Amino acid sequence: MSEEPDAARRGTDDDPPDTDDGLPGTDGERTGTDAALPGTDAARPGADGERGDAGAARRGAGGERWPRRQLLTGAIGVGAGAVAGVGGTLGTQRYARAKPAPRPDRIPFHGTHQAGIVDAAPAHTTFVSFDVLADDRAQLRELFATLTDRARFLTSGGTPANPGITAPPDDSGILGPQVPADRLTVTVGVGGSLFDHRYGLADRRPAHLTAMRTFPNDDLDPAWCHGDLSVQFCAPNRDTVIHALRDVTRATRGAMQIRWMIDGFTSPPRPSGTPRNLMGFKDGTANPDTGSAAEMDRVVWVGARQRGEPAWTRGGSYQVVRLIRMRLEFWDRISTSEQELLIGRRRDNGAPLDGTHEFDTPKYAKDPVGSAIPLTSHIRRANPRTARTRSSVLLRRPYNYDRGVDAVGDLDMGLVFVCYQRNLAAQFEAVQTRLIDEPLVDYITPFGGGYFFALPGVADGTDRYGSALLG
Amino acid sequence: MNIPARGCRRRAIAPRLCHRPVEPVGTERNSGTVTVRRAAAVLLSVLAVAGLAGCRGDDAGELAVTVSRSGCAPEWRTAHGGPRTFQVHNTGINTTEVELIDPGNGAVYAEVENLGPGSTRPMQVTLGRGRYAFRCLPEDTDASTGRTVTVHDGPARGAPAVVPVDEQVLRGSVTRYRRYVTDALPRLRADVSRLRRAVDSGDRAAARRAWLPAHLDYERLGAAYGTFGDLADAIDRLPAGLPDGVHDDGFTGFHRIEYGLWHGESMTALRGPTAALATAVGKLQRTFRTERVDPNDLPLRAHEILEATLQFELTGEADQGSGTTLATARANVTGTEAVVHALRPVLASRYRKLHAADASLSRLAGLLDAQRHGDRWTPVDELSRYDRERLDAATGDTLELLAPIAALAQVRRAR
Repeated sequence: MSEEPDAARRGTDDDPPDTDDGLPGTDGERTGTDAALPGTDAARPGADGERGDAGAARRGAGGERWPRRQLLTGAIGVGAGAVAGVGGTLGTQRYARAKPAPRPDRIPFHGTHQAGIVDAAPAHTTFVSFDVLADDRAQLRELFATLTDRARFLTSGGTPANPGITAPPDDSGILGPQVPADRLTVTVGVGGSLFDHRYGLADRRPAHLTAMRTFPNDDLDPAWCHGDLSVQFCAPNRDTVIHALRDVTRATRGAMQIRWMIDGFTSPPRPSGTPRNLMGFKDGTANPDTGSAAEMDRVVWVGARQRGEPAWTRGGSYQVVRLIRMRLEFWDRISTSEQELLIGRRRDNGAPLDGTHEFDTPKYAKDPVGSAIPLTSHIRRANPRTARTRSSVLLRRPYNYDRGVDAVGDLDMGLVFVCYQRNLAAQFEAVQTRLIDEPLVDYITPFGGGYFFALPGVADGTDRYGSALLG
Repeated sequence: MNIPARGCRRRAIAPRLCHRPVEPVGTERNSGTVTVRRAAAVLLSVLAVAGLAGCRGDDAGELAVTVSRSGCAPEWRTAHGGPRTFQVHNTGINTTEVELIDPGNGAVYAEVENLGPGSTRPMQVTLGRGRYAFRCLPEDTDASTGRTVTVHDGPARGAPAVVPVDEQVLRGSVTRYRRYVTDALPRLRADVSRLRRAVDSGDRAAARRAWLPAHLDYERLGAAYGTFGDLADAIDRLPAGLPDGVHDDGFTGFHRIEYGLWHGESMTALRGPTAALATAVGKLQRTFRTERVDPNDLPLRAHEILEATLQFELTGEADQGSGTTLATARANVTGTEAVVHALRPVLASRYRKLHAADASLSRLAGLLDAQRHGDRWTPVDELSRYDRERLDAATGDTLELLAPIAALAQVRRAR
């Protein structure tokens, strides 16, 4: 995704949608998703032989050296993680004609879809859940207009308005007198509670947008759950994220109040391939191809005439965020082989336990009793790779979090699991249901999060967030 | 809420009332004498302008201007509308304040404060159609005004401007606020006496009933951040900052008594602290009459009172057992309204969001009143999440609207 990161988001992907075997995932093997946690699933488009040079180079690399793709594009560093990581799979065609990748300072704000969804996750995020305190629909509309104005300015960069001597300065100044765009994305979602009696929106609720379910292994703290609005800020630098957060909360003061928020970070590839989570396992290999507009339409974006969905939802996406504490001290006290059996992959290079390299595809059909990859392992539960489970594929965009220390002196760290899908029940909830009581649950505790609907994109300079929703 | 221990705001705003022209030098300035210093300055500025203008053009955003005893931005001759940055360079020997003004009414669009000799600082402003001039106010010297430049193009309205507030104007506001406090002090004194009698009688229930009205009398005064000096500590401090906290001998005043009344301390033990409170309040009443109030404090107070409310009352931190911090917050709203009322003549023509600020204060007052149930107020930690968020959001909204008052009503030198 280091090149033209917005192709899929803006619906202008000019690449061939995929390689010659048709749509990804048609063989029930190629497109996989592990949901919730450390899962790393090999079978992602681009890992197969049909990918030509790219696939071969990557297989040959075996996780031991830079995949050739990265060398060609020169996108080492942030780009390396982006290419191989959560968001990134570029089609062979784009890869083959790789040219020096322009890395513009900004990610376009306007588009069919919001930024910050299919774009590769940059190093830093703050995910904020707000409760809306607007008195009525008119004030709600005003709030969305203000949010739009601020997000448009912050993601474009520029000189902040200067109130002269009539007021305190408009800008916090932490990015200097000129605000750089710094590839900031601001992604806004609405929670189910926004569709209660307050604003007369009950008949416009997205079909699957409820309060987040409590799954049997959850230990949810109400203070860390739900919310009327979600706003996720992502940027390569922490100060850019904080600057945007301060700007938005100040501009909207009185109209909404932070309910909960969490900071996240992504790691660079260690040493290559997909970044690792705090359990030490590569996390996020198995995402669908974010470079393919067709695949994103199939997996992520709510389409026109999607059954049961109000018209305004077109171009949006169901956003699930789950705050998942990892019991890292406990985890560090179990053997590598036990960790690997819980996950279903090798810890050193991310290969499935029946394979050799990170991007090898698990062959569950040849292992019906789970002697190589246990039937209860995380990757096998999350994505059994059958024709029947193909429809549950979703797009993950996870971050690690660090909240300091808990009451017994253990580290409070884990995962800000964020995923996107066009059908919450058929995708996230189906996957999460398969994961109920997986053995890994002893080492993780989901304590918060929520269901939101990421709004359709802001089309142009006259449009604003939720214009189709609020009129 | 007037407790240095809660973090006394260390005022960074220079008391500019002190600047007095001591040396009338207007004749020299108007004489047209070109001194060596001025020649050097002109040369410098020409170089600077050439450097900047060479690539960007005179109207492309940035222009270097000089100020000195002999000239106030003489380089500025013409302008187009739009955003602009002046690099203001002080070639003189006096620290100087530089303003960009509307020569018609003296309204200030932008300013550079305390520009030291030899230093350069940017002044950013958006020029709209209208007339502009630089005004230089060197320390210890009369002010001078540069050439008037008319902008014929660009945005119809540029940066907002404000007519400077001089000390004389603000003094009227201070007088009104002083009267408000003076009128309220006898009631405070009487209610503290009632509290003292209840404590002395050993009747805990009566003392608890008497505590809140007396405390609210004080909180309505609109004290904030050291208004009443050491007496504020004696009357209303919190245990923070004391080595032994609530058990520290230095813990005094209303909250000390509150702690004892609601934590089962013997009534006898509370006699001393209550007597000390009565003494402090008596002293406040006697000394307030003669205490000098810095006029510049008043505009700051407009948002400072509620800044402290947000920090100490709405968090519940100030609560020492009575669970009445929302009552305190309501009293603080009244104190803030008194400050805004006193400043109204200054603000009416200067602050276009004054009505919004008034409305926001009223709304906040209403939300707080809704948490009063007869004599009982909802303790902060018993508020529903929604009610608490609403209160916090309304307070934040009010603060954003009050904050510009400090900037707008700050005393600026006129001559």
